[in-house]
Amino acid sequence: MKKILTIGWKDLLLIFRDRGALILMLGAPFVLTIGLGLVSGAFSDTDNGTGLADIPVAIINQDEGELGAALVDVFNADGLADLLQPVAMGDVAEARRMVEDDEIAAAVIIPSGFTDSIIPQNATSEETGDVVAIDVYANPARPISASVVDGVVQDFVNRVETAVLAVNVSLSQLVTSGTLPMSELNQLPAIGQALSAQQIAAVQTDNQQLIEIRQDTATSDSSDFNPLAYFAPGMAITFLMYTVSLGGGRILQERDDRTLARLLVTPSSTTQIIGGKVLGIFFTAVAQVGVLVGASTLFFQLNWGDTLGVIMLILTVAIAATGWGMLLAAFARTPNQVMTYGSALMLTFGVLGGGFIDLPREGLLEWISRITPNAWALDGFVALGQGHTIADITTELLALLIMGALLFAIAITLFRRRTETILH
Amino acid sequence: MRKIATLVWKDTILRFSSASEILFFLILPIVFTFLLGGGFSTFATEEDTDSRIPLLVVNEDDSDLAQALLDVLSTSETVRVDIMSRDEAEAAFADETAPALLLIPAGFADALLTGETAVLDLRQLPDDNNATIAGRAVNTAVSYISRPLNAARASVTIAAERQPFADNAARHAYFTQSLALAQDLAAETPQRVTLTQPETATTQNGDYNPATQSSVGQLITWVFIPLLGTSGFLALERRRGTLRRLLTTPTQKATYLLGTITSQFLVGLVQMILLIGFGILVMHVNWGNSLGGLAILLVAFALTSVAFGTMLGTFVKTESQASNLSIMLGMSMALLGGCWWPMELFPPAVQNVVKVLPTTWAMQGLTDMVMRGQGVNAVLLETAVLLGFAAVFFAIGILRFRHD
Repeated sequence: MKKILTIGWKDLLLIFRDRGALILMLGAPFVLTIGLGLVSGAFSDTDNGTGLADIPVAIINQDEGELGAALVDVFNADGLADLLQPVAMGDVAEARRMVEDDEIAAAVIIPSGFTDSIIPQNATSEETGDVVAIDVYANPARPISASVVDGVVQDFVNRVETAVLAVNVSLSQLVTSGTLPMSELNQLPAIGQALSAQQIAAVQTDNQQLIEIRQDTATSDSSDFNPLAYFAPGMAITFLMYTVSLGGGRILQERDDRTLARLLVTPSSTTQIIGGKVLGIFFTAVAQVGVLVGASTLFFQLNWGDTLGVIMLILTVAIAATGWGMLLAAFARTPNQVMTYGSALMLTFGVLGGGFIDLPREGLLEWISRITPNAWALDGFVALGQGHTIADITTELLALLIMGALLFAIAITLFRRRTETILH
Repeated sequence: MRKIATLVWKDTILRFSSASEILFFLILPIVFTFLLGGGFSTFATEEDTDSRIPLLVVNEDDSDLAQALLDVLSTSETVRVDIMSRDEAEAAFADETAPALLLIPAGFADALLTGETAVLDLRQLPDDNNATIAGRAVNTAVSYISRPLNAARASVTIAAERQPFADNAARHAYFTQSLALAQDLAAETPQRVTLTQPETATTQNGDYNPATQSSVGQLITWVFIPLLGTSGFLALERRRGTLRRLLTTPTQKATYLLGTITSQFLVGLVQMILLIGFGILVMHVNWGNSLGGLAILLVAFALTSVAFGTMLGTFVKTESQASNLSIMLGMSMALLGGCWWPMELFPPAVQNVVKVLPTTWAMQGLTDMVMRGQGVNAVLLETAVLLGFAAVFFAIGILRFRHD
């Protein structure tokens, strides 16, 4: 056992002395986590889960009535101050040019007669003007920002429609039910005007809630979620695959360099040597993820959650990843092959397991992602970050252990068949 | 010229001497483009053909209004309603088979009809985008069915102000009549908002198209990383001493560098053409209206990338350093340049800072053509900036170039 530990420890030190390897083991996940943090707004004060803020939008209000002005007020409301950066403009052509030249995300053009098309034009009439529509002129290069602007306009118009409907139904019912006698029918336009004014005023505030949606997000308030709690483990696990490939490749490299042959003439059995090598990969994997967890706690004040759960998850994901590293070494013929296939596996597992982007893991993709240690470990780390305990991630821990055991079994079978070519 | 052609041929053979090179040249770029572009839905199994987000619904209120809410939800383009019992739904939600669970409690309609606030319970998985989207769909449906209810309630209030109801039954009857009328009128609501785009736009309805973002972004990423790998060639030749040997022949440094750079540059161009072809044929991406604009921008980007690789090659000592730095810098610069996530999602300050990266300019230029449908003139600035980057990187690389 001592020999195995000695070989493992030696391999751990060797890898951590390799500056080139450290670039991908520690540098890349750390730099990419910072990059993802920057682009996702994790280092800024946006609270929408992205860096989306200050969306530039031009408002051209050509409407003479109160609804156009009310919509302008909505865009300038305090609640949207961080998200939108509205600019009032008078020239439609200029606003369109700004959209076409990618200077703004969208132009909202409120046409002349918008209010009149909804609210009767005078107290003695129930007639409204022809229907005119607000135009959201969207920048195709900023579809997400444009959809936010469109959503604000749609929400406003929905509230206006509700108000209009309330007025129409109220007036119609007053007449048909006889609540307003025929003799007082001449009061109808005045009632309508008063009602319209009352309803339109309500448009600018929140509607009276008829239906309350009581939201419950299980264990945590999503607005407090730090995107780095997703990206940091995602990146650490992605580049863990590089480390285990490197470890696997080193076994073949030592064969090529003849240091393995020298080891074999010492009083050490093949099992001890291979065991030591495997342990070296495992130690390195644990050390790599441990360092990244520690660094992100220190530099990003990231709370990884239940300590015991984190330790167990690091150990089990290191076991599963080491299994993949061994499998690569068992399959490949040269150290370069291990590294090439290892890098490819690292990137593919990274994207399939959700390390780079939170892919919607559904259907076939869900099944495929489950062959990666990344998906299981990331689920576990995110759960712990959300306040769950080790008891809640037993499925993930078991899955990683089983994955490791299966991969070891396959790798050992292959190693036995190819002992001569691998060791000599 | 012949020497350069020979060097180009030699380097191309060297690069593709291992079949595994094809992994990074074509297979991984295609896999990433496909996965990030949402291409997997093409291969969904029969039960997965409905790609909408599942929403578990427990309906404990046997009423027309609860059914109306379900009817509206079932027409949603974003969520798929799965109605089940409370026990089944809670078990499914605990297993995270769906990101959200909506409970319509008994008494929902009664509360609405008697003028009280009705309550719906919506449980969502935390920190889950699909849960957020499902929540929005529920909000939209609630807002839709609230419209006639609001109108009917206002109608009752107005009537009561003029003439109090004789009893609750009369009030309820008035409310029911108002609601029926409001529901009829609501169905006739005209369209009061239109979403339009510039005529040159290549996308439809202003929708965000992940396939376009993915094809463009992954092209830049996967052409950039191998071209940065030019640094590895310089490190390899230095280690083997073949560079020193080569330069003892009547071959100048400039000839050697030109041969190596040209080889990587040409391979990069071929890779781009293949990835554009994949984008068109499989991801159905419209690459814009200007072949000329696309050509000059991509040539400028390939030159910048290979120049960066050449410069990097004069800083690294080993192939391992070169290879690992290429992956790290390539991925980081692609990410920050907007190749993985749309630049519009970046905080405004970050959008300005990342203009120091060539990937940002390349992505900007391609976005101008692929999404905005712009022509050559629109990408002249981006092309000029990329060529500027290339000149600076080449200058540093050539000044620092040593054969040992």
